[in-house]
This record gives sequence, structure tokens and C-alpha cells, in this order.
Amino acid sequence: MNSRILIVDDSTTVRRMVNMTLTSAGYEVWEASNGAEAIESLEHQIPDLVITDVNMPEMDGLTFVRTARGNPRIPKIPILVLTTVNDPSFKEQGRLAGATGWLCKPFQPTKLCDAVRVVLARRTS
Amino acid sequence: MNDATNGKDRVTIYVGDVHAAAHPTEVRTLLGSCIAVCLFDPKQCIGGMNHFLLPEGSHAADEDPTRFGVYAIDDLIGKLMMLGADRRRMVAKVFGGAHVLGMRESDDGVPQRNVKFARGFLQDEGFKILAEDVGGYQPRIVVFSTCDGKARVKRLARSGMVERVARQHLSVPAEPPKFGDVTLF
Repeated sequence: MNSRILIVDDSTTVRRMVNMTLTSAGYEVWEASNGAEAIESLEHQIPDLVITDVNMPEMDGLTFVRTARGNPRIPKIPILVLTTVNDPSFKEQGRLAGATGWLCKPFQPTKLCDAVRVVLARRTS
Repeated sequence: MNDATNGKDRVTIYVGDVHAAAHPTEVRTLLGSCIAVCLFDPKQCIGGMNHFLLPEGSHAADEDPTRFGVYAIDDLIGKLMMLGADRRRMVAKVFGGAHVLGMRESDDGVPQRNVKFARGFLQDEGFKILAEDVGGYQPRIVVFSTCDGKARVKRLARSGMVERVARQHLSVPAEPPKFGDVTLF
């Protein structure tokens, strides 16, 4: 079975780009447009990996990571942050919140797929 | 280039540059077939402008991604949100897409593709386009004020300016942005 990935980003265009990249690589993908939507989605359907933006309305990415990690109904799946934010202090906040990795936009499709592969392999090993 | 006059910063941007500001700044650029998208949050008075060459690139590692609209607009949105803007309030202005450098008018030409891309991207993202000045045969200088969202456009006589636009397209931004890093914790 193909690994399943939830993409969380408020930008339709970025979601489409990430979706196309991952779908082409053989993953099953679905989307949420902010952290609150993603939490709701995770309570019904658990992916193998989540990729989330940081700056989003309703619930930002770091709050989403903290909320997901603190929710006993959501298993500890890997969460990659994909953002334009390249500030080391934000990265550290992401790590402390429980993120698995930090990818800075603009992303290169091959690097995104490599990171996804590594993180999913870590999970199954 | 960055200088200050009458308490207002003045910044000139070139191909591949993206500038956002939360303090009063006049961002200016010279456009040929390129596009400048300006975004503005009227409540926070935060605005910015980018300047891109083509809609999309080939994802090569040595390419400057913000020379391409798909990254340049996303980067501008991200920078504005980092400064405190709310994307739900952002409104847009679009400039450029002129037929310079001997370009002829055609549906698949660079200027038309650029204009179509910018309009489509902004529409998909839900940003209202308040004003645009696109197409034509003359280069433009655009000056965008980040504190009130106002833009001034000066269309330029073609002689002499075309060479300036061509030189600009070959220029490299002072700090060329690269594709982002990957950090696994």
C-alpha cells in the first residue's frame, strides 16, 4: 500500500504543487487548509506523514504541531514543516513543538521527496 | 538598493527580488515583459512587491527560484505574513507583461503567459486584484507604497529603456535566494 500524506497549507497553489510532487512519486495525498482543519482531519483519518506550513490563518503550523502532539487520539506520526520561515529560532521552536523536520521554501521537488522517503523509512525501521 | 527620503525608505528591486515592509517604504522596479505583483494588508498597513521573469522554472538546483512567479508570489505572501499581515485581507495589484525586446504578441508569448499566470495565481489564492496595468509595448517603472497600497506607474519611451531592461534581466540580485534547506531533527 502506498504511504499516505496529509498536506496542510493555506495556499491553494502550494498545496497543488506539493500534491503533484508527492502524487507523482506514488504517495496517496489529501489536504487541509490550516491547522484546525488538519486536527479535525487527523481525528478521522491517520496518514503516515504530515507536511505543514507555518503561517496560516485559524491555526498556525507550530500550534498545529503542539496540538497534534498533545492530543491522545492522534498517534505520533512524523510532521515535516514546509515554510518560507528560515529563522533558526523558529526552527528550534518547531523542534521543541515536536516537528520531525524543517524544510524551507521554495522547495525543490527531488529534495522534498528525499526528505519524505527518509522520514518514512525511519518510521518503519 | 536601499535609501531613505523624508522618513520613508526607498528600495529598488530587480528580477528575482521580493521585498516586504511593515514600515513606510517606496518599492520601485523597472519592468519589461516581467511582472511585479504588489500585495497589501490595509488593516496592518503592510505591503510588498516582487519582480519575476517567468511563471515557472525547471527546479534546477542552481536556479534562482524567485525569478519565477510561482515562488516569487508565495515568498511575498510568506514575508508579509511574517511581518503580521493576514492573507485573508490582502489585496493585489499587477504590473508588467509588456512586449519589449522584439517580442511579438501571441497567446503563448512570455508577456501573455506572465500576465495569465499572475491573474490565475491571485485568483486561485483568493486575492482581489484592485488594479493592474499590463501588456502594451512600453517598459514601465512601478513605485509601490507599502504603507497605503498606492502604486504609481510611468510608461517609458522605448528607445534606450529596452537595453536597460535587457541588462536588468541578465543581472543577478545582490543576495540570490536559493532553494530552501532541509533539516531533519
